[in-house]
Amino acid sequence: MEAISKSVKKRDHDAKISGQALYVDDIVMEDMLYGKMLRSTKAKARIKNIILPEIPAGYCIVDKNDVPGENKIHVVEEDMPVFPEDTVEYVGDPILMVVGPDKKGIERILSEIVVDYEELEPVLDVRKSDVAFFHFNYAKGDVDKAFEEADRVITETIETGHQEQAYLETNGLIAYPEEGRMTVRGSMQCPYYVFGAVAKALGYDRKDIRIVQDVTGGGFGGKEDFPSILACQLAVAAKKANKPVKYVFDRREDMEFTSKRHPSICTYKVAVKDGKVTGMDIDVIYDSGAYTTLSSVVLQRGIIGASGVYNIENLRVTGDAKKTNTLPNGAMRGFGAPQTFFAVEMIMIHIAKQLGVDSLKFKEQHMVKQGDATSTSGKFHFHVPLPEMIERADQLSDFRKKRELYKNQTGRYRKGIGISLVYHGCGFTGSGERDYIKAIAKLKKNADDTVEILISITDMGQGAKTTFSKIVADTLGISLDKVIYSNPDTDRVPDSGPTVASRSLMVVGQLIKRAAEKLKEQWKSGEEQLIEEHYVHPDFLIPFDIKIFHGDAYPTYSWCVNVIELEVDTITATTQVIGAWGVYDVGTPLDLNILHGQMQGGFLQSIGYASMEQCNYNEKGIIRNNSFSDYIIPTAMDIPNLVTDIIEVPYVEGPYGAKGAGELPCVGPAPAYIDALENALENNIYHIPYTQEDAMKYLQEVEK
Amino acid sequence: MVKFILNGEEVTSNANQNERLLDVIRNEFRLTGAKCGCKEGECGACSVILDGKLVNSCMVAMGSIEGSTVMTIEGYSHTDRFSVLEKAYASVSAVQCGFCIPGMMLASESILAENPNPTEEDIRRGISGNLCRCTGYNAIVEAIGIAAKEGKGLW
Amino acid sequence: MVKSYFATSLKEALEIRGRESVTPYAGGTDLMIEADDNASYLFLNKIPELKQITADDEYIRIGAASTFTEVYHSELIPQILKDAVIEIAAPAIRNLGTVGGNICNGSPKGDSVLIFFATDSKLRLASSKGERILPIKEFYLGRKKLAIQDDELLVEILMSKTGLDNYYYKKIGARNALAISRVSFAGILDIKDGKIMNCMTAFGAVSDVVIRRPELDGILIGKTIEEAKAVKEKYLAAFDEAIVPIRGRVSAEYRKSVCMNLLKDFLESNGI
Repeated sequence: MEAISKSVKKRDHDAKISGQALYVDDIVMEDMLYGKMLRSTKAKARIKNIILPEIPAGYCIVDKNDVPGENKIHVVEEDMPVFPEDTVEYVGDPILMVVGPDKKGIERILSEIVVDYEELEPVLDVRKSDVAFFHFNYAKGDVDKAFEEADRVITETIETGHQEQAYLETNGLIAYPEEGRMTVRGSMQCPYYVFGAVAKALGYDRKDIRIVQDVTGGGFGGKEDFPSILACQLAVAAKKANKPVKYVFDRREDMEFTSKRHPSICTYKVAVKDGKVTGMDIDVIYDSGAYTTLSSVVLQRGIIGASGVYNIENLRVTGDAKKTNTLPNGAMRGFGAPQTFFAVEMIMIHIAKQLGVDSLKFKEQHMVKQGDATSTSGKFHFHVPLPEMIERADQLSDFRKKRELYKNQTGRYRKGIGISLVYHGCGFTGSGERDYIKAIAKLKKNADDTVEILISITDMGQGAKTTFSKIVADTLGISLDKVIYSNPDTDRVPDSGPTVASRSLMVVGQLIKRAAEKLKEQWKSGEEQLIEEHYVHPDFLIPFDIKIFHGDAYPTYSWCVNVIELEVDTITATTQVIGAWGVYDVGTPLDLNILHGQMQGGFLQSIGYASMEQCNYNEKGIIRNNSFSDYIIPTAMDIPNLVTDIIEVPYVEGPYGAKGAGELPCVGPAPAYIDALENALENNIYHIPYTQEDAMKYLQEVEK
Repeated sequence: MVKFILNGEEVTSNANQNERLLDVIRNEFRLTGAKCGCKEGECGACSVILDGKLVNSCMVAMGSIEGSTVMTIEGYSHTDRFSVLEKAYASVSAVQCGFCIPGMMLASESILAENPNPTEEDIRRGISGNLCRCTGYNAIVEAIGIAAKEGKGLW
Repeated sequence: MVKSYFATSLKEALEIRGRESVTPYAGGTDLMIEADDNASYLFLNKIPELKQITADDEYIRIGAASTFTEVYHSELIPQILKDAVIEIAAPAIRNLGTVGGNICNGSPKGDSVLIFFATDSKLRLASSKGERILPIKEFYLGRKKLAIQDDELLVEILMSKTGLDNYYYKKIGARNALAISRVSFAGILDIKDGKIMNCMTAFGAVSDVVIRRPELDGILIGKTIEEAKAVKEKYLAAFDEAIVPIRGRVSAEYRKSVCMNLLKDFLESNGI
């Protein structure tokens, strides 16, 4: 174990555990007003008229007419208005905001507003959508030939549902004007995303915008793009009211109207010859919802991973992100990868079953290794540790033995065990870091020889404050308490990019490491010093061309093998997870406790994704599962101890050898869970979440 | 007007009797350790100890606590028991985003107060009303087990 | 302005209840989900008479404002009720929520309600004018419709002291804690000297009211196990007809299947 891997007390521990840490809802400003949205109740409609009640003094209505800059929210594209112009595109589209000093007064005004809609026909089913926001495709090898020569062609469609991030702290921000400037503070992952969006909506110079992150109670992607949306609306409101305006969502509003993981439909056509997969023709559809938000980049990651950890020489992948009149989907931990990795893992298992061979062996025969080409004709430049990870997982879980044991069960309780093999591409897809993000990181040494980390990376619980501080302290040979890392404030920190894509430590951590090394060389005790580092693109990469999806999509990969063991009660069709194991390679761990915590947290989120987390729309396009009693996430009683283990393949370009970690644990559990369920039920499953009702339906069919 | 004891001090709240205890401790008394995660008793982020028992403060109307004793994380954090639990949580880095943590700490206290030697199952049952989306619960369960060992005699 | 009332004795509570239009508030865990500023609550959570758990010759008498936790920890409480209350929500809710509130909420999903149905428990209702005792089945008139008068309070639940030991209980929720019942089932088979002395079953969360059909359970009463086997199909068919689930968070089909599976398993586990 590297010295840096040894765990320390987390730097945010004391404030959080004593209840002293201030989250945005804990902050009260003088003269502060509250905001609440009037949201569309129709999935698609033209707004003919809005009848307002008399607005009491101190209250105001904020809508499209109040947007001083462009009525556009900058995410990747700019198709989403700050407030809709004259049509609403989903149930929840924010028509206007009521702002005032008293929440009950605001509710009363909201209840008295009458919106006259001209209802239009919405598209709620992505299969019926003929609007593709994005269409991508790529190919390699000779796919047609592979199918011509195949002795077997297998076609399956696999579907995945929404997933709500379900951070414990809902989205919330405060915007306040101050001497001609606008400040937005609160719960967020990416201060500079918010910065750019607010500048555009207000039409302000960049110097007149300030964004500050407050202690953030979980993000998981749900505070990547969404805070930009709320910030624009709130900044407009604060400008109009000329007072601070706070808006913290209640749980129902957060669940119903903030972004989720994209549902997917993946159709795989697979050519098999002599017991081996020789080609795949894959069609991926992601349901974007009503606006584009991050769909293009989510889809890119999804289609790049569509062939999983397998070396498929002849490959054709098509991807569409389609519009529906539903909530705009956005980022969630894994960012497009969990969908296609689930699909490809299930396809490989189902093919093995058809061929009558052991599915793990079948997968092993197709696994990539160092030097192999990636799906996009890049290269796996570094060691692929899957073989030893599988052995480790087998040792921990006794997978192979149990798998045999659980064949042909007949009793009331039936056990199953499943395994998945996945990777996660570390950092932004393609040349995003070089071409768009251009990360900058600074270290400021104070006269008292404390050192401040100045970056825009946010700690939302994942431990950035601790790991980054450890890098600086270790490199400089100073104690941790000499390192300062405050919540990012765009007035003070440079744009080191967003806290997303499992990039923070690998990319920005490396900049901080280099800065610390430089500072060490130049260290002058008692003097102020400032070191600035800029992103440098690794030179070993095969350049990635996003137009044709060719080259190294990622500099390196993190790897994971998950095993899940469960038991089904055939009388009630309920399932209990009785064992869960994960073996992970994320390079060198920068703090073992933090790393295990990350892996375990993602593990559980994804067990939920596969089993109980269901989010449906009714025929009017309204989300049914809009509270914690309807959108079910696992409690401590739903799982056993999650066993996580680490294998280290250090990455030359990462600090101390660290790679991306945060999203990896959300990629593998769903296919492992479903593989286990198939093992127990002896069936094939084509969708998640696979619920009690699904299992009962199947069990009854078998009985007949 | 409702009189009750808050973190050891006799207080009088001017709140309407129908208001939630959570809103009153957060807004009137400015004790913001208890968090609002759902306002329907489904997440446990607002947990406090009321007359010695763990409750969701969002589910308690002020009128029902006349003469009661309420302990929030702010009061608890000055106790020896807190100190043992806090160190146990730190030793396994059980705090991630922290939003569930004040409630989780009071649930931990409640588990150990009822049973100083809880099994893993007892612990999991004891925190089953406190949702955590970050940790997968491993570290929290482990921390409570450590505190039970380290805090012998305190509970 | 609306006023809420904090009562410290049953007498005081009944007086207020008789005089004012109030909503009785015991644990608050149902009421506070949709906290109503304009409600006029009558707080019952600190009335000693409503919190006693006692036993007399015939009954275990559970004060209506006893919390689930208090019920669970009482030595007088039969295990079947303990099994049900320990699965309700989570500790913090069990520390507030009461059996009386569970009953008076009027939901067919109430987990303690199911047990009171399955055990043919009786309810003691009181007003300042007098009191009456009503079997729980007669208390439930329909979905959210209860046979309680505006001046009455539920004071006690009376559970039989005997014949409840051989029971079967299963709750199916979406997860293992913090779960609202999707289906629940309780069955009691009192067998003496090889003969079924009593059979009581109840199905929760499937219909507007907990399903309790003593006339169907009567098919098995008085029979030996062997004789019961002979009428098993008839018994199951009768329930198959009687259970008509309404659609809820989960499909009617699922709930029906689980009900029948559990009923069968209840019989099989008793050798029938």
